[in-house]
Amino acid sequence: MYAATTSVALVGGDVRPVEVQVHVGRQSDQFKLSGLPDAALREAKDRVRAAVMSSGVNFPNRTVTVNLAPAHLPKSGTDFDLPIALGVLAASREIPHPGNAVVVGELALDGSVRSGASTIGAAVLSARSGTPCLVAAGSASDVAAVPGATVHGVSTLAEAVELLRTGLSHHPPATPEPRVEAPPGADLADVRGQPLARRAIEVAAAGDHHLLLHGPPGGGKTMLARRLPGILPILSEEEAVEVALVHAAAGYRRGLSRERPFRAPHHTASRAALVGGGSGVAVPGEVSLAHRGVLFLDEMAEFPRGNLDTLRQPLEDGIVTVARRGITASFPSLFHLVAATNPCPCGYLDDRRRPCVCRPATVSRYRQRVSGPLLDRFDLVVKVDRLEAVAATGPSPEASKAVRSRVTAARQVLAGGPMAVGTAAENLLIGALETALLTARGVDRVRRVAVTIAALESAPGVAEDHVAEALALRADW
Amino acid sequence: MTAPTLIRPDVDAYPIGLRDLEDPPPVWIAGTVPALPAVAVVGTRRCTRYGLDLAEAFGGVIAGAGWTTVSGLARGIDAAAHRGCLRLSGGAVAVLGSGIDVCYPRENQPIYDEILGTGGAILSEYPPGTPPDRWRFPARNRLIAAISQAVVVVEAAATGGALITARLAAEMGRPVFVVPGDVEREMSEGCNRLIRDGAHPVLGSSDLVEELSLVLGPPASLTDTTHGIPAQGVRLSDLPDIWSLTITETLVKLGRLEVEGKVKRLGDYVVPS
Repeated sequence: MYAATTSVALVGGDVRPVEVQVHVGRQSDQFKLSGLPDAALREAKDRVRAAVMSSGVNFPNRTVTVNLAPAHLPKSGTDFDLPIALGVLAASREIPHPGNAVVVGELALDGSVRSGASTIGAAVLSARSGTPCLVAAGSASDVAAVPGATVHGVSTLAEAVELLRTGLSHHPPATPEPRVEAPPGADLADVRGQPLARRAIEVAAAGDHHLLLHGPPGGGKTMLARRLPGILPILSEEEAVEVALVHAAAGYRRGLSRERPFRAPHHTASRAALVGGGSGVAVPGEVSLAHRGVLFLDEMAEFPRGNLDTLRQPLEDGIVTVARRGITASFPSLFHLVAATNPCPCGYLDDRRRPCVCRPATVSRYRQRVSGPLLDRFDLVVKVDRLEAVAATGPSPEASKAVRSRVTAARQVLAGGPMAVGTAAENLLIGALETALLTARGVDRVRRVAVTIAALESAPGVAEDHVAEALALRADW
Repeated sequence: MTAPTLIRPDVDAYPIGLRDLEDPPPVWIAGTVPALPAVAVVGTRRCTRYGLDLAEAFGGVIAGAGWTTVSGLARGIDAAAHRGCLRLSGGAVAVLGSGIDVCYPRENQPIYDEILGTGGAILSEYPPGTPPDRWRFPARNRLIAAISQAVVVVEAAATGGALITARLAAEMGRPVFVVPGDVEREMSEGCNRLIRDGAHPVLGSSDLVEELSLVLGPPASLTDTTHGIPAQGVRLSDLPDIWSLTITETLVKLGRLEVEGKVKRLGDYVVPS
């Protein structure tokens, strides 16, 4: 007796259908599982048997053979428990066949269904193939927000059995939870003073410019960086799904949050942690977890230089390919890079109050830890000073919400097509090149920033003033 | 680079301080001697790291105050003093003990070139091509003493060129400033002796500027500003207040001044160029 159910595997930033084939033979009492399962998945045999028995349904006292196809694709995790259980029951004619519904869920020994990382994948596959999906009730309303998905939630295996016996089409699908516009977690209204840095992150957000903040400890570099996601426009529905899939591949359940991710790996993070790795399965790295959001490198000069240089390819291509034994997967990596660094190892070079105790040679070695090609990616380089007591009082600064609306408007202008650069503006750039103020590559960077500044002002084209400001926002670290 | 020319003492272009010598010699000059108060920063070639850092800092604060530095382009203290001055404003003055076209030691060729490239001057009383013979250096030191209005000795052993410069300067009535050092350290012995003999001890960069301003008049940085930016520079973050502009307006103005070559950025600082 044979039955097959459909489940889902997360591969790269995408989903692949997995067919769970179940055969119930004549010999007594064996359970075999094939199709490159990992350790957690191999244990599904015991969980499924116990869960079925706890649910008041008969587990066949026969040879049960389960194959997960395509067999060459490595599969992992506990989300195949429910499709295996339903397959076994369908094959032994305990329940009607679940049809082409996409099924995921981890089983507890008492028969309750828990949601795992692939829940979002089931919803995406459901939307793509126009079939319903069956997931844990706990996250049903969460993933029901995937556009086009038909999601049914079950909290126990017994409930799933009941649902299939009465027919899925007789039950209403889960409705998405109404989206609450959450206020940005970290608000620019908390940042007093720092007009230069505030301007820089607004320009960075509007034009997707990578930003380097430098200055002594305690200046608020991290505080500023954390506020970048809050002034970027919220994710679109499609983008939110994209981001959720990447996070699911790393085992995180992010839901369909429309807030942009903010990732801040520590400087001891390995290359695999930064760009992706994993054994047996491909796991996305920080560059992909920051997809459509912000990757913040605090203490950038403390990262090993080789690790920093691995960021160059994902920065350039917006996609990173992780090759692992048995599988190669590509994850998207369109992220906004913000780096912070002290001016020297002790941090107090150039500080107004405290003396720096570093030797000149130490300082130059410290700076050389960041390679030139990586530094070239930063269109904006600004100093963040420690706050003077005077600036700590005064009127309350502008909140993220207002900045976000300007940024959103500017991004719409920029999306509208290339912007004309006026003659006077172009002459100023040429002047900067001729006086050796800028290199040819520097001119390109300044021009890009000038275009963004013009867009922030909704100007019809790039004028001289826009170039002048862009020039001043570029300084050598 | 303008071709070196031989300037005779009876010509207007003759550096005015040199006329105080008993026998003002004709000198070869490449570049232009800045019309600024000049301070000599001299010391041993075999200096310590501490001496190097001090000399470079002194070169910087002297230039920042709107004066110029004079030294001998030798290894060690001399080179560091030139570097300090060049880093801030350029326009340093070097007096050579060899022919004016002979850079000795060769490693200082970049400094030689930068002095000429930034509006400074190279001087020598020897015709082009003269090799750097040891016996010429003490004679060169009398030119350094004469052309400067004050002399700062950073590190000096009990004998050496820097002491000769200091003695000649004192004889011509130029004030001599000296960095004190450990009594048992060889490279401080000359300095400490000078202090015992009546030279002014220098207690740091700002002390030096203060002492020098008693001799040379107030530093230009206190009186002259370029668009409100004093010669010693300001931080970018202070500019909005100085100019009473918003941050955006400030950045626009700064970018323009940079392209026009009126100001330049030195790390976090904006200085007149």
